[in-house]
Amino acid sequence: MGGENVQCWCVCVYLMYVENGQMGSVLAAASPSPDPQSAAAGGGMAVSGLMSVPPGFTMPPVSSVPPSADAGSALPNPGTYEECHRKCKEVFPLQMEGVRLVVNKGLSNHFQVSHTVTLSTVGDSGYRFGATYVGTKQTGPAESFPVMVGDMDNTGSLNAQVIHQLSTAVRSKVAIQTQQQKFVNWQCDVEFRGQNFTSAVTFGNPDVVVGSGIVVSHYLQSITPALALGGELVYHRRPGEEGTVTSLLGRYTGENYVATLTVGGAGAHATYYHKANDQLQVGVEFEASSRMQETLTSLGYQLDVPKANLIFKGTVDSNWVVGATLEKKLPPLPLTLALGAFLNHKKNKFQCGFGVTIG
Amino acid sequence: MGSVLALSSRPGHQNWPFSTDPPPSRWDRRDGRLPNPGSFHALHRSCKEVFPQQIEGVKMIVNKTLSSFFKVSHILHLSAVSPSYYRFHVEHLQSDDYSKDKDAPALIGEMDSTGSMNAHSLLHLTERVRARTVFQTQQSQFVTWQFETEYRGNDFTAAVTVANPDVLRESVILVAHFLQSVSSGLVLGGELVYHRGRAEEGGILTLAGQYSRPNWVATLNAGKGGAHASYYHRANKQIQVGVEFEASTRTQETTTSFGYQMELPEANMVFRGMINSRCIIGGVLEKRLSPLPATLIMGAFVNHRGDKLQVGLGINVG
Repeated sequence: MGGENVQCWCVCVYLMYVENGQMGSVLAAASPSPDPQSAAAGGGMAVSGLMSVPPGFTMPPVSSVPPSADAGSALPNPGTYEECHRKCKEVFPLQMEGVRLVVNKGLSNHFQVSHTVTLSTVGDSGYRFGATYVGTKQTGPAESFPVMVGDMDNTGSLNAQVIHQLSTAVRSKVAIQTQQQKFVNWQCDVEFRGQNFTSAVTFGNPDVVVGSGIVVSHYLQSITPALALGGELVYHRRPGEEGTVTSLLGRYTGENYVATLTVGGAGAHATYYHKANDQLQVGVEFEASSRMQETLTSLGYQLDVPKANLIFKGTVDSNWVVGATLEKKLPPLPLTLALGAFLNHKKNKFQCGFGVTIG
Repeated sequence: MGSVLALSSRPGHQNWPFSTDPPPSRWDRRDGRLPNPGSFHALHRSCKEVFPQQIEGVKMIVNKTLSSFFKVSHILHLSAVSPSYYRFHVEHLQSDDYSKDKDAPALIGEMDSTGSMNAHSLLHLTERVRARTVFQTQQSQFVTWQFETEYRGNDFTAAVTVANPDVLRESVILVAHFLQSVSSGLVLGGELVYHRGRAEEGGILTLAGQYSRPNWVATLNAGKGGAHASYYHRANKQIQVGVEFEASTRTQETTTSFGYQMELPEANMVFRGMINSRCIIGGVLEKRLSPLPATLIMGAFVNHRGDKLQVGLGINVG
């Protein structure tokens, strides 16, 4: 009984910091993770979605898959473990409520600053200041290291990440999250990219005094140019109890689709992403959780209309939740207007919000 | 007099269902005669139209003109704080020879998805006499039923309203209005309200005065029930400003509001903002999306004292 509780807690904590925003995260719930297509500012800084990013941020580009391997025999590097489900998740709209004003300012090629003012109808209104620094060590056409991302709330909560490329194949990341003055998350991970595989080890909340911590190890291997298989092992330890959770992942990439399946002790997660044409992308997601004993199926789509500077995302869900987000750039000003509304038919609850991003 | 269901009305005429444009141009008269002062309800209207209306949730309005007499609107409102509803709104315009403003609707009806109904009718009985009736129900119960007769003389207006006459409960509210143009800019008048119930009866007298110049209008209502003063100023073609002061002896409260309206016709945009002595700040932006016959409305109201925020989006099609 106790072991099961610890397992539940550990899986919960693990899911919180590894998958940004999925199944509820401590601070990221306050504001959605940034839209990876958000406008670039000075020096080509745009999110491509490799690392889990603190809320309200645009990240410098970190490519997921290096340029295609030389012809024929060599298998390509499969990317990272966290990223397998990401393409599908990016299609879904994020729930918006209240009013949000974001001002991004690029101070130089290396430094970018953002101010976010949030007025919320249900939670707390606040101001958040964020800064991004991209270093001088250039490893690719659009990649530079080290990358330091930090943001601070008006209540004093801090999110910070430092990503550095230690050598051509090894990359490491240190991330810290506090809730006001208390440290909630502190983790360090090291990732090794081989010719056709990726492996990573993460140490989460290691506490030598208490003797607790979480160690997560990932391994992803390209079997064929389209198929990648991998696994994840989570070892958690608290004074008095310890345990492990394993899961297996398989990803199949077609010409214009990606299908991913994760099966493990905590449940199953299957996603399918399909790019119908230049304008329409569709994603279907199925999640089953053994802990909460429930399943969720969602359908999402994204419509890009570049001529009208418009991006529309819609979602329908098996929880009877319908939602949509509209993002429109307003040229000639560097303004982006975002409108969103979510309606939960089962609980008869409605939420709407809009936001303006400048710069 | 506080209507239970606010009647949906066209943008620009936020609180009044019947159009009265062009507004009485008191300063255009050259023949020396004093103009008709308009109706008593219209006294504070130019100031009130400057203020933004509180908007909440998502509202979609589809307007359809079926013929030159008939207009229909479908209103869908999704709200986080109040129940969502669908409302059907229909307007029938009068074809009478006596109606001065040809496109003033004569019959307006609205029906809610909960069954609440709102009906207004305006009849021009003769050139000078108008009759107006209002019926309002909340689901199946009648909340308001009132009948008004208005006589417009050369330089005065007199109106009598009978509101909620109930023979069974022996209750009625009688209101008499009188407005007289005293000079080319000054209008004086009064309102007498007599209410009678089974156990009580009483009367309230309110005096009203309005002074207008080409660029500004100042209005004052004062009586035993309280005072209401408003000042409207048109700074230039784009900016209009309104200041309003209300004091009520019944609730023992006063409120001062400041509002402004900024029109940018090149950008097809109208912005209204307001700030209040109750620490309420609000703004509403209306933008016409030009190739489409659609208007996008975004608004937010913040009550700093209670730390509450209300956000609304609306789209009007047609």
